[in-house]
Amino acid sequence: MNLKRQLLGLLVFALAVALVGIPGSARGQQPVKNPDTLIIQQIGDSETLDPSQAYDTASSGVFLWNIYETLIFFDGIRSDRYVPILATEVPSVANGGISKDGRTYTFKIRQGVKFHDGSTMTAEDVKYSLMRFMLTDPDAGPAWILLSSVLGSEVQTTRDDNGKLIPDIWDQANRAIQVKGNAVVITLKRPYAPFLNIMATWSIVVSKNFVVRNGGWNGAKATLAKYNNPPNAEDLTLFSKSSGTGPFKLEAWDRKTGTTTLLRNDSYWRAPAKLRRVVFQTVEEFSPRRLALQNGDADVIDVDRADQPAATGIPGVRIVDDLATLQTNAVFFNLNINPEANQNIGSGRLDGNGIPPNFFSDVHIRRAFAHLFDRDRYVREAARGKARVANGPIPYGMLGYNPKGPWYELSRDKAIAEFKEAWGGQAWDRGFKFTLLFNSGNIGRQTAAQMLKEAAEALNPKFQIEVRGVPWPSYLPQYRGRRLPFYALGWIADFADPDNFAGPFMHSTNAFAGPQGYKNAEVDKLVEAAAAETDAKKREQMYFQLQQIAFRDVPTLYTTYPVRFVVMRDWVKGWYHNPMFFNEWGYPYQISKR
Amino acid sequence: MTAYVARRLLILPLVAFGVTILIFALLQFLTPEERAALFITDPRQFGQIQGIIRKYGLDQPVHVQYWSWLKQLAHGDFGWSQTARMRTAEAIGAFFPATLELTIYMFIPIILTGLWLGTKAAVHKDRFVDHFSRFFAISLRGLPSFVWGLIVLMIFYGWLNWFPPGRLSLEADQFVHLSGEFRVYTRLMTVDALLNGQFWIFLDALRHMAGPILTLVLVEMALLVRITRSSMLEVLRQDYVRTARAKGLDEDVVIMKHARRNALIPVITLTSLLFVGLLGGVVLAETIFNFPGIGKWGAEAAVQLDVPGVTGFAMFIAIVTVLGNLAADVLYAAVDPRIRLQ
Repeated sequence: MNLKRQLLGLLVFALAVALVGIPGSARGQQPVKNPDTLIIQQIGDSETLDPSQAYDTASSGVFLWNIYETLIFFDGIRSDRYVPILATEVPSVANGGISKDGRTYTFKIRQGVKFHDGSTMTAEDVKYSLMRFMLTDPDAGPAWILLSSVLGSEVQTTRDDNGKLIPDIWDQANRAIQVKGNAVVITLKRPYAPFLNIMATWSIVVSKNFVVRNGGWNGAKATLAKYNNPPNAEDLTLFSKSSGTGPFKLEAWDRKTGTTTLLRNDSYWRAPAKLRRVVFQTVEEFSPRRLALQNGDADVIDVDRADQPAATGIPGVRIVDDLATLQTNAVFFNLNINPEANQNIGSGRLDGNGIPPNFFSDVHIRRAFAHLFDRDRYVREAARGKARVANGPIPYGMLGYNPKGPWYELSRDKAIAEFKEAWGGQAWDRGFKFTLLFNSGNIGRQTAAQMLKEAAEALNPKFQIEVRGVPWPSYLPQYRGRRLPFYALGWIADFADPDNFAGPFMHSTNAFAGPQGYKNAEVDKLVEAAAAETDAKKREQMYFQLQQIAFRDVPTLYTTYPVRFVVMRDWVKGWYHNPMFFNEWGYPYQISKR
Repeated sequence: MTAYVARRLLILPLVAFGVTILIFALLQFLTPEERAALFITDPRQFGQIQGIIRKYGLDQPVHVQYWSWLKQLAHGDFGWSQTARMRTAEAIGAFFPATLELTIYMFIPIILTGLWLGTKAAVHKDRFVDHFSRFFAISLRGLPSFVWGLIVLMIFYGWLNWFPPGRLSLEADQFVHLSGEFRVYTRLMTVDALLNGQFWIFLDALRHMAGPILTLVLVEMALLVRITRSSMLEVLRQDYVRTARAKGLDEDVVIMKHARRNALIPVITLTSLLFVGLLGGVVLAETIFNFPGIGKWGAEAAVQLDVPGVTGFAMFIAIVTVLGNLAADVLYAAVDPRIRLQ
């Protein structure tokens, strides 16, 4: 099966490369095709167009800042500076928008902005939108981002452990978010440094009238239970219809072909967009995407790093590489493996035929692997040289990233020394055997697993690591059941703040560190303190300190901070990239095609 | 004959339900978490798996899940297909017409060329036509359809730009879906285009189907050529053919009326299977040519463990298969009076 797949892959690749040699009839100086329409071909379609449900890049990328807008927005290519859009100024302590204690934010709402349905946006709409985002809270949705930042990090959902709506959750939100004249005042439970950054992406404003008119939640406490966590995606009113304030209106979402069409909003509150339409098409296979780009039928296409050579050198096509992105990839040690019905740890004992469940709780084992992993080679082979080696959770370019932060040097001798120290020398003498899994299809993770296997097995014939790819539906439950001994995953920023990385990677109750069984009281305290600290210099020092601990304890092998690239026709003008954009195609409002 | 057809139609619901029971039985091999993975695609959602399992009752015993699915079905609801992003019944209604249309356009050239070339090969056994058709058939079948698909795509889209992938071009798509001037009658794009008097849409739709049609005609025709040939060879040796020739009948009449009609039985069996197979969707061709057919959706639903999607898809295919076999049975009786349906 595997060989067959590889052969197929090779064939497809060879055919795709061969294409470059075929002289296209439509080559050379091509006139601009569809000059008023930007056509973007993606791998996958949106899951939903409802902002309170969407939590995947394909969905958010379609509607955010196109159909819907936020109170404040990122300033050009910066992810740490803001400009007001639906607010009239960015709140700061200096302009009185942020209270001295760092808990109260006042957003003055822009007047005279019209929704696509013709109604005028008010402060009431803004409050309603924030409440709706927090309280409809579908499973696997993004509500926690506002819930935890406004109501305190202990509030991650609107439901208790039995799935029942928390009785006073509406009151909590209603108290925290208040309308005062033309302003919306938000009072956080505790000061939270990333709050402005969160608002730049997640303060998505929808029309209350439109939602209610279409049978959606009216914002009242009494009706919330009916609208909280609805059974199907389409039950949320804005699943496939919309009324936002953005430069484009939703014209159609054809789920059959995976095509979303946006039409210019001619009564936009700023100058109307230059493009008349933006069309998102779903094309799963690379070959038709690439040919569409070559023929001018698409303006921007999704390209996998592995396919980049086949997309290079097409006349009239431009590739912009090294786009900053806020993402960290890593390989995680499981410090407390669940041994129950677990085939990944062999005998379950340190007898040369398996590993004990707490095998990786010995820091020497973890350090030994850290010394073995050739990260430079990994960047060359898995990312075609386009990534930075990582030294901690916080990615390059973000506050708290320490370019001088220490990491383990590649050293066979040091790895051997660490292995010999682990488990009182038994790990070295008896050897070990376990399975390293990755989700099949993810070439980067497969490469990392294979490299670790080869490096370890070359040290000692008693070291045995089996590398196995499993489909995502099997990988996920094994991860969740803490049955994976050692596994690769990655994290993309929800908001451009180090807390969104230090938290999940290191805090013992959070996304990664929790299931991994890593608990360090000092780390937890530091993560919490850094999140509340508003002085940037002090915060940075705290994150540097966390990096030191990430190095010392090494529960996680940080591998890379990847960079992205975009492949587009050179007639696409006005394109730019911001690390917080969900996709590579930029901001269509400013794009034209001439 | 009518009674026979009615009886066969009566067992349809039984077959359909048998299929669903089979699928729910297979569910027992999956853990609730494996099924929850359909909704959890990002580490950021990891904390919410328990909620997903509770919400969809994934941890309930399989008979409870089956019962609640049946209750849903009683209200005409096949459930929500996460992979289609619509209700399952809606998804079948959306994807099937495209596949049906593609199948019809593929089927005609497959049958015509297959029968013609197979007959020619049998009549001129061991001559050039025979060798050529054998070489042709083996080499076409020898390469997997996705390779043909890529070659066709490269030549006819990448190079000549005649047959683009997808369902419609941008202009045609916008006219059909956004202008409000296009009425949908049958959901078959080419038919609707003609009914609307929009010949350019008809041509555009045809252009977009040409790639998958060409690919599959090349691949599927080969088998028909071989079966027709061997069946014809068998019949041509029969006494009644010799008698017909001895009577001094024209050779064309002998071959067309006396021989070929009798050679058709295995051919009908094969074509009915082929037709049903094509209706089930042609995953590779639909994927390579980005054609929104039912096969692509069914395959994705299966891979993602989208249970309502897979169940609805399987039920639908079971019904199509039963109907396809029934049609074949009726056709047998029509070509061969010795076969009586009772």
